[in-house]
Amino acid sequence: MSVTHEEVLTIARLAELDVDEATLPVLTEQMSRILEFVAQIGAVPASESAKPFVPGPDAVRFRPDEVKPWPLAFGPDKLAPAFRGGFFLVPRLGQFEEEDQ
Amino acid sequence: MSDPGEALANAKAAADRIVKAKRLNACLTPPKELRQSLQKQGQAAHPSGVLYGMPVAVKDNICTLEFTTTCGSKILAGYRSPYEATAVAKLKAAGALVAGKTNCDEFGMGSSTEHSAYGRALHPFDKTRVPGGSSGGSAALVAAGAVPAGLGSETGGSVRQPASFCGIVGIKPTYGRVSRYGLVAFGSSLDQIGVFGRSVHDAARVLSVISGRDPRDSTCEARDPLRLPTVPESLQGFVIGIAKEYFPPDLDPAVRRACDRAIRVLKELGAAVREVSLPHTQYAVPTYYIIAPAEASSNLARYDGARYGPRYDGALDLRTLYRTTRGEGFGPEVRRRILVGTYVLSSGYYDAYYRRAQQMRALIAQDFRNVFDRGVDLLFTPTTPTPAFKAGEKLADPVAMYLSDIFVVTANLAGLPAMSLPIGRIKGLPIGGQLIGQAFLEDEMIEAAYALERMVPGAEDA
Repeated sequence: MSVTHEEVLTIARLAELDVDEATLPVLTEQMSRILEFVAQIGAVPASESAKPFVPGPDAVRFRPDEVKPWPLAFGPDKLAPAFRGGFFLVPRLGQFEEEDQ
Repeated sequence: MSDPGEALANAKAAADRIVKAKRLNACLTPPKELRQSLQKQGQAAHPSGVLYGMPVAVKDNICTLEFTTTCGSKILAGYRSPYEATAVAKLKAAGALVAGKTNCDEFGMGSSTEHSAYGRALHPFDKTRVPGGSSGGSAALVAAGAVPAGLGSETGGSVRQPASFCGIVGIKPTYGRVSRYGLVAFGSSLDQIGVFGRSVHDAARVLSVISGRDPRDSTCEARDPLRLPTVPESLQGFVIGIAKEYFPPDLDPAVRRACDRAIRVLKELGAAVREVSLPHTQYAVPTYYIIAPAEASSNLARYDGARYGPRYDGALDLRTLYRTTRGEGFGPEVRRRILVGTYVLSSGYYDAYYRRAQQMRALIAQDFRNVFDRGVDLLFTPTTPTPAFKAGEKLADPVAMYLSDIFVVTANLAGLPAMSLPIGRIKGLPIGGQLIGQAFLEDEMIEAAYALERMVPGAEDA
C-alpha cells in the first residue's frame, strides 16, 4: 500500500500538522513502507464474530453516546464572573487602555 | 522506624551519582535543581514509609510537582504539571524520593531513546549503543547504579526492552494494576506505568507500592496493592510454557543459548516445561503499529499551542497556529505516527486497518487465554531478538526499529503482566529473558523470577 505526496498532505491537513516540502519525499516513502508492513494483517481472514478486545476492569463499560445539554459538570455561566443571554461578558478593551494611561 | 537522617544522606548520594552519570544523558533535570529538590525531599520524607529514603528516577512522561514534565518533546518544553501522577504520590507517601526526570523517546514513541528532543541517551556499558526505549533514561540510570529503582511506562514494551538491553529487571504490570492518572497519554488502551530495579526485589517492592485502586482512573482495578511473594525454594508445581513462535529459526544463536540455559534452570528448579503455540504472534507488531498510532493521533491532538507548552508566534490565524506549532513542536517519529494513525482512522481505511487490527488484537488475547486455560502458569521467552543495537543503526528504517519490539508487544495488546530479567551476556552486552503471566497474577510471575534470578548467571556470557 503506497501513498502519494498528495495523500500525505491531505492526511497532514486532517491531523493539523505542517509538513514541509523538503521532508515530504522521505515521509511519503516511510509512510508507504509502514502501511505496507501493517497491511499484512489483511492476510488473515476477517472474523466478524471477533469482538474488539478491551483490557481493564470488567466494570468499565462504554457509556451510551448521548448528547447532554452541557458537556460540563455545570453550565458555562458558572465559569465566568459575568454571563448574560448565553454570552460571556468581557471587559471592553478601552477599559484597559484607560487604566494604562 | 528507620533512621530519620537516612533519607537526607541517600538524597545527597543519589544526586552525586546521577550528576556523575551525566555523560549518559539519562537525566533531564539540571544538576542544581536536582540537588535542591532531593535535599528538600530528603528532609520531608517520613521515616515510617516502606520505601523510606529510596531514590526513584521517574520517566519524563509521568507528571511530577517537583520537576518539569516534557515527555522528551519540544512541544512541552518547560511544562510544569499542576498535579502529580498517583504512582508518584504513592511513592512519596511511602517515603521514596523523586530522583529527577529521565530521558525518553518523545511521548514514549521509540525503542532506542534516540527520538528525544533533548538528545539521545547512551547505553551504560557501551556509549556507541542505545539503552533501548522508550524508557531508556530510567533504565540507564538504574543500570549505572545511580538509583536503585526507576519508573518507566509501557505502551509496547518500553520497560522490558530497555531492561533487557541494560541488564536490569523491568516489570510491566497487568493493564489496570497501576493507576494511569498523571501518565501522559499515548495509547490509552495500552499504556501502563512499569518499574525498573537492579534486582527483582527492588522492582517488585516499588511495584507493590504504586499498585492498587485509584478513583481518579476508571481503568484502574479496584484491587488491593500487590502483595509481595516470598522467595521460593523451588518451582515445583509451576507449569512454564515455551511458545515456539518466540524462537524463530533466525533468532540470534547466543540469545537462544541464553534462553536454553534459563529453561534448563527452570526445569532444575522443579517447574514442568511445556511447548505451546500462540499462532497469531506474527501479526502482533503490525497490529500494534495500527492501534497505537491511531490512539496517539487522537491523544496528541491536544498539543496545539493553545493550551500547553510553547507556540509558534507568527501565525495569522488559528489553523496556522495549530499546524505550525505541531509541525515544529513534534519530532519526526511522533509526526510519522500521528500521520499513520490519522490515515488508518480515516474514512475508507478504517475497516481495512483499524477494525481489522482490533479483531486481530482479540485473537492475540485469545491465544494467551487458550494457553493459560490448558494449565500453563507462565510463559518464558527471550525479551528481545538481539542485544542493544548501535546508535543510528535503525533510525532511517522505522519498520526495522519497530521489529525490535517483536517479543514484547503481545503482552501490551493482551493487557497481561510481563517482566524481563537478565539471563546472560553476549560479548559483554546484557540480554534478558521474559516471563509473561496471567492477568493480575504478578505474584506468581515475581515468584518465578526470584528463583530464576538466584540461579541464572545473568552477568556471564551465554
